[in-house]
Amino acid sequence: MFVLRPAELTDLPQIESIAAKSAIGITSLPPDRDRLTDKITNSRYSFASEVDLPGEEAYFFVLENANTGEIVGTSGIAAAAGFHDRFYSYRNEIIVHASQELKVSNKIHALHLCHDLTGLSLLTSFYIDPTFVDSDLPDLLSRARLLYVAEQRQRFADKLAAENPGVCDAEGRSPFWDAVGRRFFNMDYPQAEQLSGGRSKTFIAELMPQYPIYVPLLPAAAKLAIGQLHPDGELPFSILMDEGFEADTYVDIFDGGPTVEARVETLRSVRLQRRMTVSTSLPNLAETIESGRAVMSIVANTKSEGFRATIAPVVIGTGSGVGNGSDHIGVSREVAVLIDVDDGDAVRVVPLDTANHHLTGATW
Amino acid sequence: MVVVRPIRANDLAPLLALVRDTGVGLTTLPNNEGLLRGRIEASIATFSGTAEKADEQWVFVMEDTTQNKIVGICAIAGAVGLREPWYSYRVGTVVHASRELGIFTRTPTLFLSNDHTGASELCSLFLAPEYRVGRNGALLSKSRLMFMAQFRERFSPKVIAELRGVSDESGRSPFWESLGRHFFSMDFAEADYLTGIGKKSFVAELMPKHPLYSSFLSKEAQAVIGETHEMTRPARRLLEQEGFRFEGHVDIFDAGPALESDLVDIDAVQKSTTHAVAAVTEASADSASAAPLMLISNVHLAEFRVGLGRCQISDDNVVISADIAKALGVMVGDTVRVVALSPSERA
Repeated sequence: MFVLRPAELTDLPQIESIAAKSAIGITSLPPDRDRLTDKITNSRYSFASEVDLPGEEAYFFVLENANTGEIVGTSGIAAAAGFHDRFYSYRNEIIVHASQELKVSNKIHALHLCHDLTGLSLLTSFYIDPTFVDSDLPDLLSRARLLYVAEQRQRFADKLAAENPGVCDAEGRSPFWDAVGRRFFNMDYPQAEQLSGGRSKTFIAELMPQYPIYVPLLPAAAKLAIGQLHPDGELPFSILMDEGFEADTYVDIFDGGPTVEARVETLRSVRLQRRMTVSTSLPNLAETIESGRAVMSIVANTKSEGFRATIAPVVIGTGSGVGNGSDHIGVSREVAVLIDVDDGDAVRVVPLDTANHHLTGATW
Repeated sequence: MVVVRPIRANDLAPLLALVRDTGVGLTTLPNNEGLLRGRIEASIATFSGTAEKADEQWVFVMEDTTQNKIVGICAIAGAVGLREPWYSYRVGTVVHASRELGIFTRTPTLFLSNDHTGASELCSLFLAPEYRVGRNGALLSKSRLMFMAQFRERFSPKVIAELRGVSDESGRSPFWESLGRHFFSMDFAEADYLTGIGKKSFVAELMPKHPLYSSFLSKEAQAVIGETHEMTRPARRLLEQEGFRFEGHVDIFDAGPALESDLVDIDAVQKSTTHAVAAVTEASADSASAAPLMLISNVHLAEFRVGLGRCQISDDNVVISADIAKALGVMVGDTVRVVALSPSERA
């Protein structure tokens, strides 16, 4: 069984080897021991702190094989993008150049450097061991974060965003960077990023062109790269798309990758999740699970420092028996132990397969 | 004898014949009868004092009085951009620097501007090819400066002249190809024509409004920013001799330079002087070749004339030859304005 939980300093060696494997572009997972140590420390502080308004907290989760202790994935949430400063993106805009007199109307695509996403909460650090890409674990890794957000609304902004890697070749050469950033830096993107010494991208962004970029003036390869996803980013991206994130408006200022955003309440998992009382002793629980009539769900406790989430079959209370109503769900004792809940504790639950469940159905 | 004088209504037919020789790029003189007639009417209204400031057009023709033939045209717009916005790109620089990253990049930019709004503009210069000899070109161009010197209160403190930018024999402008074409799917020649018939602001409204990084343009396009068409280089040299300077404004279509000067700083305006005609000699202008060739004009508005000749100046008086006196329509006792044609020969 797998469990998603806050990262601990003891996870450092494993996280370090994951960071070394992760793609260029997942800048939130730097292959650098000191920075990773800071990241975990800051995360532990974030989970532990009392928060009224989102600030500089950054929550870092690891996905652990509970049987072996092996870490097979990471994910994170930054409470407020660009908290200390600004969060830069390019906004896709259409400028209509029209003249009634000349009977001409042209739609011109331009990229505007903007701070629109500053202060949004940012989903970060997604990494899954390639062995598990075809399993349910990527869903747990990505979507359990949303259960944490749903439980801890005061810690996060009303909108979430997520950066996705843009296209580049095997050497990390990005056609978008080559056409835009390079003109102002005269260096490769990985080099520029390295030079910035792990400081926020703001540091680099301030050197980027501040005026809108007229897309028609860019070379073909750079035009194509705008909003184009790196193949490595497809899995986390598709999960976010299924959640209802919107990808048309913003792109990364360095590699042109799509930056998605959405209001928290509109996300599928947030709308479908329910806060329920857990029970390990509902009538016929074991039989229902064994017969396959339980609903495979992501289920998370409602703690912060002690946050745990897993995928498990759950049984909805029937209104009779121990739970005494449909606010109760039944999970196996093993699951209860894994996510550290006792009978009567609250949990957040969302069906794994949201497509097959009606949004309004209390009985999903 | 060639002389420059205000345009008249009956100049239309010979002017049309002349204009057919005009290539692409002389935007203020398109091959369009209605438009030319309009400009002539505007000029007549301007000279008669009935035109509004925004519509003032001082149009002159060069006439070969011996042949009784129109051989050139030039004009001054009283104040540009008061009816329709006047656009140009200002060439700027943006520096992106970080001491910590060891980065210092200097990027040229183009800012769309209306900076020249209200300026007087020297425009529409065209000389028949067979007359592009001797000092005719200089006379035609500088005749306007003599007019402005005489009637300076009628012009704006700032004077500009837009020069044709680089294009090839087929009228293809590398700057237009790299910029304008993306925003406006037409050839430079067509955009240029629309400009000439008074629709420049319409075209301009289809152009990018935000500052542009020149480095996003083709190398070819970057190379012609502020460069003058080969055919227009002599015109540029003449203006530069008179103190006009390229101050970083270029045409939004072909990136040709706009030269500019304060009216009072124009050399011919500063150094030309008025004198009473003391005597008229029978000697022809060419005979006294030791004296410098002078721009000589009368001081009439509607009957303004300017030509080239030699003269002897003593204090307030001047002695001119009979042929120039006849061409200018002046007699002994009348006032003329004079200045050496070549700035190097001016006091």
